[in-house]
Amino acid sequence: MAIFPLSSNFEGDFVIQLVVVDDASTMDEVAATCAVHSVNRRVAPQPGKVMRVRRHSTGEVYPRDMQVKSAGLLPTETIDVIFSDI
Amino acid sequence: MSKLASNEYYDLVRTTNWTPRYVDEAELFPEMMSGARGIPAEAWETFDEPYKVTYSDYVATQREKDAGAYSVKAALERANYIDSADPGWVSTLQAHYGALAVAEFAAATAEARMARFSRAPGNRNMATFGMLDEMRHGQIQLFFPHEHTKRSRQWDWAHKAMHTNEWAAVAARHMFDDMMFTRDSVSVAIMLTFAFETGFTNMQFLGLAADAAEAGDHTFASLISSIQTDESRHAQQGGPVLKILIENGKKDEAQKMIDVIFWRAWKLFSVLTGPILDYYTPLEHRKQSFKEFMQEWIIGQFERQLNDLGLDLPWYWDEFVRALDETHHGMHMGVWFWRPTVWWNPAAGASPEEREWLESKYPGWNATFGRCWDVITENLQKGREELTLPETLPTICNMCNLPVVGTPGDGWNVKDYQLVHEGRLYHFGSEVDRWCFEQDPARYQGHMSVVDRFLAGEIQPQNLAGALLYMSLNPGEIGVDAHNYAWAGVGKQSHAAE
Repeated sequence: MAIFPLSSNFEGDFVIQLVVVDDASTMDEVAATCAVHSVNRRVAPQPGKVMRVRRHSTGEVYPRDMQVKSAGLLPTETIDVIFSDI
Repeated sequence: MSKLASNEYYDLVRTTNWTPRYVDEAELFPEMMSGARGIPAEAWETFDEPYKVTYSDYVATQREKDAGAYSVKAALERANYIDSADPGWVSTLQAHYGALAVAEFAAATAEARMARFSRAPGNRNMATFGMLDEMRHGQIQLFFPHEHTKRSRQWDWAHKAMHTNEWAAVAARHMFDDMMFTRDSVSVAIMLTFAFETGFTNMQFLGLAADAAEAGDHTFASLISSIQTDESRHAQQGGPVLKILIENGKKDEAQKMIDVIFWRAWKLFSVLTGPILDYYTPLEHRKQSFKEFMQEWIIGQFERQLNDLGLDLPWYWDEFVRALDETHHGMHMGVWFWRPTVWWNPAAGASPEEREWLESKYPGWNATFGRCWDVITENLQKGREELTLPETLPTICNMCNLPVVGTPGDGWNVKDYQLVHEGRLYHFGSEVDRWCFEQDPARYQGHMSVVDRFLAGEIQPQNLAGALLYMSLNPGEIGVDAHNYAWAGVGKQSHAAE
């Protein structure tokens, strides 16, 4: 368990933001943390959609239950959080 | 006693490349400071400034300029214009003074570098006047806002801003340090006077002067018009230096310097001038949009000047033109959302009428940036002000030191141009910012952005209060919405940020 900083690029938002998560967090938990700083602040919620995390540099969409420490991300690396049907 | 006309003696008296007897040329003009690049002294002596002035003429003209600007100030001081001015215009003035007054005073050092170390006698002569110009600009832009310090402590930031770790001040200093303090005299001539002053100060001083006159702020209009007359003179040092470099096979080097600093200046103006012209200036007083000013002053004039010198457009010109529809809108939203972290009160400029104007000037604005403002506006109307204030930091570009922004909403395209260099991950707001870094990593790699400092534990406590403390922003100085959200249809007085 260790804190892990990431840069959140949230779909529909205008800016990338610093978020701090636990490296044991799942990608669903990361998406939820990122949403706190974008959804209902500058991005309208999208009911019925799930928020998925993908690596910004490659476009690789991470499994929802993958932990941060298993994703090969560098501290402060940018992730996209996108609305998805699945 | 007869007096010679200046054109009869000017060239002779400014030919001061004397032969040193007590030191050698390399000691008199160290390469690190002069930057002669192996070009012989005879070549530098061909420097031909297009605007020639003698010291006595200079002093007489400057006295008249000062007398003009100071008398307008004195005549209008009792009218208390500021007390009845739109709060958005007041914010414009506070942002301008804080970002530029001390930076202009510092520019005297850059001019002094040319005045002492340039191999071109004509350059040394002009730079002496340029040095005096910049002292005047520093002094006059500190003196004019000083009368308003009784109105609000935010006015004190004219002097204070550049001495703090406030993020916008850090961004401005990073750029000015790169351009003015850490370069040889030839680089200063090209980067400061040609690329920055020729290219961009017209925007700030003439564009803003037009809006100031429209807004009835004749004191500020006369002040910055007065400054611009100096800028347009001493900005002419870069052209002759470029000519000599090109004639001596150094075009690529000159081109790269222009390409780097033009982009850096553009980014700084996108956060300083863009919001002022398109959002802060009251709608009825806007002469042109920021994009229209840029098209006229930058795309039109600067492009022609590059052509005349035989230089190319920067390689990223298409991206620069595209970004005129995007970057400053993102910078503005960032400044407004993180408003507690600036020394002025940002005007949202997002009322229905203003949004209509923005849509007309930037087709598609409502479906992109407008989408974010829709959410913000609804939050304010429903009393959820806390959701319009930040709870984290934006990711900061390691070149421009400004937030990494892009187009939101339907055109979402926000991108981080990342780079791992010697084991450290850097973030950049554009391909060009990353390219600037890659041209000289050793120059930039040690710098810590405000976010880097936060993660390194330099900002304590690690929350908004700690960040404000780190930035020296005290109650009464931190920014709030300029119009207390009237633009959103609410009349609520807000001091939540305090």
